[in-house]
Amino acid sequence: MSTGVMARPRGAHATASGSRRRQGRDRGRVLRLYVPLGLYLLFTVVPFYWMLVFALRPSGSTTPVPWPITFEHFTTVWNDIGYAMFFRNSVIVGVWSLLATTVLAVMGGYALSRFRFRGRSLFMVVLLCTQFIPGAMLLIPLFSIFKSLGLINSLGSLILADTVFNLPLSIILMSGFITAVPYSVEEAAMVDGCTRLRAFLAVVLPQLRPGLIAVGSFAFIHTWNNFLFALMFVSRQDSFTIPVGLSYTIGEYSADFGALAAGGVVAAVPVVCVFAVIQRYLVHGISAGAVKG
Amino acid sequence: MKSTKAWAALAVLALAVAGCGSGSGSQEPGKTTITFWDNNGGTRTPIYQELIKRFEAANPTIHVEYVGIPIASVQQKYDTAIAGGDTPDVGGVTTSYLANLVGQQALEPADDWLGKSAVNGKLAAPMIKSVRDTVTDGKLYLVPGTSNMDVVWYLKDKLPEPPATWDEFFTDTAELTKAPDQYGYTIRGGAGSIFQVLAEMYAYSGVTQFFDASGKSTVNDPKNVEYLTKLAAMYKKDTPEADVTNDFPKMVAAFGTGKIAMMHHNLGSYNDHVKAHGADKIGAFALPAGASGKRTIVANPVDGFAVFKGSEHKDAAWKFVEFLVSKESNSYWNQQTGQIPANTEAQGDSWVTGLPHLKTAVDVLNDPATAVVSPPYYLPQFSSITKADTEPLFQKVLLKQMSPQEFLDTMAQKLTDAQAEWKKAHGG
Amino acid sequence: MATLRRRAVPYLLISPTVVLIAAFLVYPIGSVAYYSLQNRNLTRPWADGFAGLDNFRRMLFEDELFWQSLAFTAKWVVTEIGLQLLLGLVLALIVNESFIGRGLARSLVFSPWAVSGVLTTGIWILLYTPQTGVLRFLGQPETAVLGNLDTVFPAVVVAELWRGVPFFAILLLAGLQGIPGELYEAAAVDGAGRIRRFRHVTLPHLRDAIVLATLLRSVWEFNNVDLLYTLTGGGPAQVTTTLPLYVAQRAVDSKDFGYGSALTMAGFVILLFFSILYLRLSRFGEER
Repeated sequence: MSTGVMARPRGAHATASGSRRRQGRDRGRVLRLYVPLGLYLLFTVVPFYWMLVFALRPSGSTTPVPWPITFEHFTTVWNDIGYAMFFRNSVIVGVWSLLATTVLAVMGGYALSRFRFRGRSLFMVVLLCTQFIPGAMLLIPLFSIFKSLGLINSLGSLILADTVFNLPLSIILMSGFITAVPYSVEEAAMVDGCTRLRAFLAVVLPQLRPGLIAVGSFAFIHTWNNFLFALMFVSRQDSFTIPVGLSYTIGEYSADFGALAAGGVVAAVPVVCVFAVIQRYLVHGISAGAVKG
Repeated sequence: MKSTKAWAALAVLALAVAGCGSGSGSQEPGKTTITFWDNNGGTRTPIYQELIKRFEAANPTIHVEYVGIPIASVQQKYDTAIAGGDTPDVGGVTTSYLANLVGQQALEPADDWLGKSAVNGKLAAPMIKSVRDTVTDGKLYLVPGTSNMDVVWYLKDKLPEPPATWDEFFTDTAELTKAPDQYGYTIRGGAGSIFQVLAEMYAYSGVTQFFDASGKSTVNDPKNVEYLTKLAAMYKKDTPEADVTNDFPKMVAAFGTGKIAMMHHNLGSYNDHVKAHGADKIGAFALPAGASGKRTIVANPVDGFAVFKGSEHKDAAWKFVEFLVSKESNSYWNQQTGQIPANTEAQGDSWVTGLPHLKTAVDVLNDPATAVVSPPYYLPQFSSITKADTEPLFQKVLLKQMSPQEFLDTMAQKLTDAQAEWKKAHGG
Repeated sequence: MATLRRRAVPYLLISPTVVLIAAFLVYPIGSVAYYSLQNRNLTRPWADGFAGLDNFRRMLFEDELFWQSLAFTAKWVVTEIGLQLLLGLVLALIVNESFIGRGLARSLVFSPWAVSGVLTTGIWILLYTPQTGVLRFLGQPETAVLGNLDTVFPAVVVAELWRGVPFFAILLLAGLQGIPGELYEAAAVDGAGRIRRFRHVTLPHLRDAIVLATLLRSVWEFNNVDLLYTLTGGGPAQVTTTLPLYVAQRAVDSKDFGYGSALTMAGFVILLFFSILYLRLSRFGEER
């Protein structure tokens, strides 16, 4: 591309102007990047630290550092409260809902983004409308529907309910990400003889990776954290999920903040870790991709 | 393509996890399965698990499936389940929402069963009466398992001798408050505030009826107003500022740090305090008697077990209920939670008198001089009036945006109206 | 034939979603609309029946709390979304640069998003309760931020920001990836500084992403009650009660489902109106 060619002399000019400017830039970088980032990280980390303190120090202690360290709260939540089972259920519901939501969101998002079909605006408005009513008001009719389908008390009802609730938001977001991929690339592939599906899979999907990660993680996390559905659509102890387990620790007659915090660590650590691994896919290397080549 | 691999890995993980779980919940032939919902799931779960183990050992043909419902959501769970027609066989229920469940025709009366049961005559008569008074037809829709009583918990190292009168209580509270962060008392200002205020007001005033003969609420009795004025004056002076949004967890968290000398709750929080402070540092006293000298307590809701109408295994359900309120099980449950057993034989067990806080409570309850004020749990609107309608107003009282008189007048009016409407609807 | 098939493609693609919404959301939402015209109160079963517009009349003319909660909802949504967008954008731009420790920084910055509502409120209760909190160690032993009318709003805003900012940061970071690098290079050639490049390249490209994120998140902040419900219960004295929180108090706590449905419909109409207005005003999706 012509811009790339034109940029080169400018780059050469910059290296010639010496290292003093770079030093100035470094100082600017510290102010611009590290200071705000550091402050924000502090804001992020303090609540986590406080959770760890409560999870690791004995009940009744008020020290700002968890010393002496105790693991009693972890044994409480894992053995007595039954987190192992809740954890397993949360993973199942979360992953299935993530997969279903993402696939359907790509389909719907593609339709919204690439076609000007009759009823498109209506579809969009209907999607939005589904988000306008708090879930608590829909519980009883939803419950009746699930019951008539024989889905009450199964993880399937949770997967379905969470997918239905995640879907409108995910489709709208996904359509935005698909729109950001120029249609011209896809057209070019189709001109080359690909079917629309092949063109999509080969050209659009790879560029959609950040969007897939974003939408997928929203779907997963919404599901992972949904307390109301998990408690209302399931009445079996071995089918409850982590939010129900967390709510066990805090209530009238038992305010065990140590157990809440320990349960919180159990609930948060795996998600944070998975996220730490996949966050790098949020940024796709444009330089390595097909666009520039 | 890396992301595709990541998705694939996740899918495989999910399938794997799903795979290892299949097969659970399969039913053996010839076995009856009943479902039991615990209305305070969480720390009490292990107690029920132990009891269920014992029950299943004694009744090999019955399998009990335990479901713990978090207490904050239990009414919503029941309402949803009833509306959707998916109720348990047996459920933990308290009289504070019994009227609602009975109003929705969800429960099976226990009278016929009790007449033939081995526990007949062994359940505390006041508790049975309390349950019957909650409903219009006088039937027993709930088999009592435990009762509770309001007490003030205190730290023995701060307060060697508990106050015997309200004047002493106010003096102690003021004396124990020391800048910057030591307080004599803590007020429950958030969720659940009204019941505790009622308990304190009636104890102070000695008024023994919730409604007078003409059906007017006594909540705004001048003596009640007098107490509330004193309590509101204590806020931020002898109690923490944070009290205005104090719900149970926040209150216990604050008390657990040892900076607050006294905290009003009921017997049920015993284990929380022991966990934070140790059993020997914790004491409890009943709310003092008022100027009249007559000790007056507000009856706590009775907690117990109900069999649901929708149950297909009512015989097995009653059998389980009978087991839960039998001497041994009832004794075990209440010993673990530190509350008062409903089974009179269990009340005689040595551990009851061995726990000082429980002895205090039982002594007060059994004292013939004690007057018991019964809140109108039979009014389906009672819980709404004492929660959503008036809790925010009580916060206004603490924040000095509303006078105690105005607040109590408002609450009295609502109760009087609800009582009149209820009487009219039931032809009374 | 080919055109027919082509025409059918978008409908085929949205059909599963349409089926799911028709099966699971149309009836429940319709039932809320139906009950808004009914007296339906579990605590007064003898008075149940058709109410006409009584619920709406009560809401509009007799219920101060409705208007109060509506005003607070507006304040809450505008404050939250404004701050979340601003901080989210700044964060996305920062973690989009390459620097040492970027992966770790990103993971940390995004991590509150992964924490559940029950837990978020649990953590913030611990942080804010004077006896268990952090302010004690900053020389403020008796600062009851949640119990004080002056500090309660900033306090809940900060707690909600903690888990809300990552949503914007993630979305905008993903959106930033769609901007071709050549555009920046071209702008640099034209002598555009950092700020001008941001205004003329970054911002226009992020426009749709920002419009969508703010809209969806506004709806979410409008309707979501878990944090406020647990942290303040809508108090003290109802000053932090949003409309949906008020709905929960009426419909769930007081079991007045009819009136709660009317309040819900009010929220529905308001959100519908503002969403359409917002999409129109922002000229969302139009070609530039």
